[in-house]
Amino acid sequence: MTDRPTIAPDATAVIEARDLKTHFQGRTGIFNALAGGKAPVARALDGVDLRIREREIVGLVGESGCGKSTLGMSLVRMYQPTGGQIQYRGDDITKAEGKRLKDYRRQAQIIFQDPYSSLNPRLTIGQVIEEPLIIHGIGTATERRQKVIRAMDLVRIPAADNIDRYPSDLSGGQRQRIAIARALVLEPRFIVADEPVSMLDVSIQASVLELLDELSRDLGLAVLYISHDIATVGYICNHVAVMYLGRIVEEGPAEDVLARPLHPYTQRLMAAIPRMNAAGAPERVELRGDVPTPMAVPPGCRFSSRCPYTTALCEAVEPGLSVQRGGQRVRCHIHDDTAARARPDLTPPRAGHVTEAADAGILAETLDHA
Amino acid sequence: MNKAQTPAESAEIRGRSPWRAAWDSLRLVMQDSFAVVGVVILVLFILIALAAPSLAPFDPFKAMMTDTGRLARLRPPSGDYLLGTTAFGNDVLSQFLHGFRVALLVGLVAAIAVGFISTVFGVLSGYFGGWVDDVLMRITDVALSIPTLPFSIVAVALLGPSIENIILVITVLFWRNGARIIRSAVLTERERVYVKWARAAGASHLHIILRHILPNIVRVIFLWVTMSVAFAILTEASLSFLGLGDPTVISWGQMLNTAFSSGNLRTAWWWVVPPSLALVMLISALYLIGRAYEEQTNPRLRRR
Amino acid sequence: MATTTPPRPGNRPASAATLAELARLNQRLAAKPAARLQVEGLSIGYSTLRGRFHAVEDVSFEVPAETNLGLVGESGCGKSTVVKALMGLQPPNTTVSGRALLDGQDILGLDDHALRDIRWNRISLITQSAMNSLDPVYTIGDQICEAILAHERVGKAVAWARAEEMFALVGLPAGRLYEFPHMFSGGMRQRAVIAMALALNAGLLLADEPTTALDPIMQSQIMTRIRGIHAHMRRSMILVTHDIAVVAETCENTVVMYAGKVAESGPTADVLERPLHPYTMGLQNAFPRLPVPGAARQPLISIPGVVPNLLLPPPGCRFASRCPFATDLCRSAAPPVVRQGAQATACHYTDRAGEFRKAAARPETWRNMRGAA
Repeated sequence: MTDRPTIAPDATAVIEARDLKTHFQGRTGIFNALAGGKAPVARALDGVDLRIREREIVGLVGESGCGKSTLGMSLVRMYQPTGGQIQYRGDDITKAEGKRLKDYRRQAQIIFQDPYSSLNPRLTIGQVIEEPLIIHGIGTATERRQKVIRAMDLVRIPAADNIDRYPSDLSGGQRQRIAIARALVLEPRFIVADEPVSMLDVSIQASVLELLDELSRDLGLAVLYISHDIATVGYICNHVAVMYLGRIVEEGPAEDVLARPLHPYTQRLMAAIPRMNAAGAPERVELRGDVPTPMAVPPGCRFSSRCPYTTALCEAVEPGLSVQRGGQRVRCHIHDDTAARARPDLTPPRAGHVTEAADAGILAETLDHA
Repeated sequence: MNKAQTPAESAEIRGRSPWRAAWDSLRLVMQDSFAVVGVVILVLFILIALAAPSLAPFDPFKAMMTDTGRLARLRPPSGDYLLGTTAFGNDVLSQFLHGFRVALLVGLVAAIAVGFISTVFGVLSGYFGGWVDDVLMRITDVALSIPTLPFSIVAVALLGPSIENIILVITVLFWRNGARIIRSAVLTERERVYVKWARAAGASHLHIILRHILPNIVRVIFLWVTMSVAFAILTEASLSFLGLGDPTVISWGQMLNTAFSSGNLRTAWWWVVPPSLALVMLISALYLIGRAYEEQTNPRLRRR
Repeated sequence: MATTTPPRPGNRPASAATLAELARLNQRLAAKPAARLQVEGLSIGYSTLRGRFHAVEDVSFEVPAETNLGLVGESGCGKSTVVKALMGLQPPNTTVSGRALLDGQDILGLDDHALRDIRWNRISLITQSAMNSLDPVYTIGDQICEAILAHERVGKAVAWARAEEMFALVGLPAGRLYEFPHMFSGGMRQRAVIAMALALNAGLLLADEPTTALDPIMQSQIMTRIRGIHAHMRRSMILVTHDIAVVAETCENTVVMYAGKVAESGPTADVLERPLHPYTMGLQNAFPRLPVPGAARQPLISIPGVVPNLLLPPPGCRFASRCPFATDLCRSAAPPVVRQGAQATACHYTDRAGEFRKAAARPETWRNMRGAA
């Protein structure tokens, strides 16, 4: 199933996930357990390989339930991975505990989506940014203040005026900058930004994104940028990975994946983005059904239940990530005939060959009756 | 709050000190005119309680004698005895003033004890969850199923009627609701994004509880403590009225009990009205303050 | 989230009589004319503890029959307030002045009885948190029937049959009408609410950010459906959103709001390709667009500053504090409404719009203003 070529530990990779899995155990009722029923397991993250280097911003896109937030949280060890490995600068920190874990926590920080609840309203801005230093017992009070001021300068919020104000005095965009300052004050090497601009007005998203971009370059940070808004991903990311139901289905250089998506899911995702001039927009094919839940992952290709090109092979065998021209990697039988050759009895899918009656037809039918 | 200083001047980052926060809350509460009345009453009562021994003209236990050597019983208010005397010749005013001390002592101790126990239970339960929560909440549930007055009666009867026992009984009984209320507040705070962030940053549980959870639930704790004080005072008065009070201590409930058992409840108004009125005023004052505090600090309204 | 469930037992196919009555109902509903809305001088204010909050001031626009109007703006611009006032859903301590003529009848300030008549019947609403506006103790089917039965004299079986048709329109299986809201996923609930809004074929649909909370693919599916249904049934719609790309795809006309006032309005193509108001220009630049392979990345430019406080609105143009082209005139005098063809804008310097557009496309224009957001 996995087809990873042996990866030599890359010297410049800051953080690397190898076949990372995070499964959540559901609870089973007492009667269910007595009857021998097993508790459902939510396979939120089901085998992900990802590598982020210094100064690199990797975008992670997908819809709700695809596991992108789980990946981010697992990488900073907020969730405990249940399988696979996380390597931080060559060190395996998947199961690190105690001091090693705390050391790692200094190096890896996370920024959340909601600027309105990620800062404690009772603390001043200075206290908010200072907190990581206090948690890790760094510096004297004076030294801490200096570091806080430096962090505020980095995010371009004037320290003198704002260090004693409260979060409620600032706007959403400013608060998000404070959250970034708080993440930077420990001088980390790796930052997970989980939808950092989704809740901000469009007119200020750009400045926050720009800030992230600059910081990554100037401070040499490795950044994982998680978003469901693909347009912003195209703006600051070098490398993009698309997730579906716990696994990466396509990844590669940002321009390639966004402009020439190979996986049917990515294609549909790109087509779904509303465009200002419809002329350049790819055709939209309706997807059948709803996203399956991580508790009942279908056998074979995870996307087969919704893909318009599904065939018997797709429903039986899960494809591996295959490398394409230009470095793009796709998890799809259309672009990889390894499985087709191994199972000649099953029909392989062909690009552009729609096998399921797309339900775009339903709309036309029912409108005639209404 | 605007200390516009250049970075060089002040070396430390200061937040809002707890005293400042308390003062701000008080100012906020005083915006409500009913609460002002409550605060005035409370302050007055505290002052009287502190000064009672000096204010009281006579020893509350001493029987007053007339010039002819007879007990001055059931005298209505007069120049000699401003609130008259009891059926046993005690000066009502002196007893009344001493009652302030008892009421406020009971209230204060119960508040601290109850506040502390409820908070510990509520925080441990709400923050840690899991089996800690299950165990603590089951204990709380058992405690909740105990009926207040019958239990108090039995406990005091068994342990003996002393003021310490009464305070003990009140403490044992009143932390129950507080624990649940505080636990709910803690559950809400625990899910805040900044708490999650602190965990991700490597903060210890103690750090999170002290820095993020407690300051944000102070409002709930204070409210609960205010209510507990009121209940505690009322319970002590009830127990004393039922005859389970400490006979060596004069409390308002005790006064009412004596008046009742000597059959003078309907007639000796000077004996009955002052303690009753004082009880009503004190409890109302506490309630008004609590109510105003809740309204003013409710997140619905903008703070600061 | 769950896979589709088969209809529960008891779901017998509708009787012939029911079907006949349903056909009559559909005919009646289909015969409803498309609605035309004219809003003139709408002003909405709240009194708060800190004074009077001027949420919306002197807003005027028109929705011609059978067209979609996009109402675009960011948080605090007042677009949701306008929509709620049109449905009579504004909070109690609000003052509303101006006129909103739905097919010639003023719908502002109607009494409860009259409001009940027009709500859902002639004008219906989908809100952003529509998923939470479903009553959790009734089945979805019951809730849709309730809406239908409130306005049409038909039997429950007929109303249910109509509800089934609405579900088919939005792509949900009819059997799920028997379920409760919590059994639906977010996207499905949104579709259920849309089905409810369309049940009576109201002439005007108010859609307040109907898909913002949803995933991109679900968003596109739902918007496609809404567009399709509307075009087919020839209804009118006001689409409130902050996403100008959705407006570009869906709406013939656009109104751009800022800080409670209309900044610009006109045919969508004109407003987006040749904006007259600096705010529209800034909004366009700030809108992330997909990279075109081979071409240089377009800079993404923020508009620095914050929205003015509407408790004390500034005397002049409300955008002056963030506008790179603002002059003293802008800061002191409220701009008049200027028309250029079908477009209208509130700006003192409409004649220099072409020059502004070129300048606005350069990042330095916006960066050279003080105060980052």
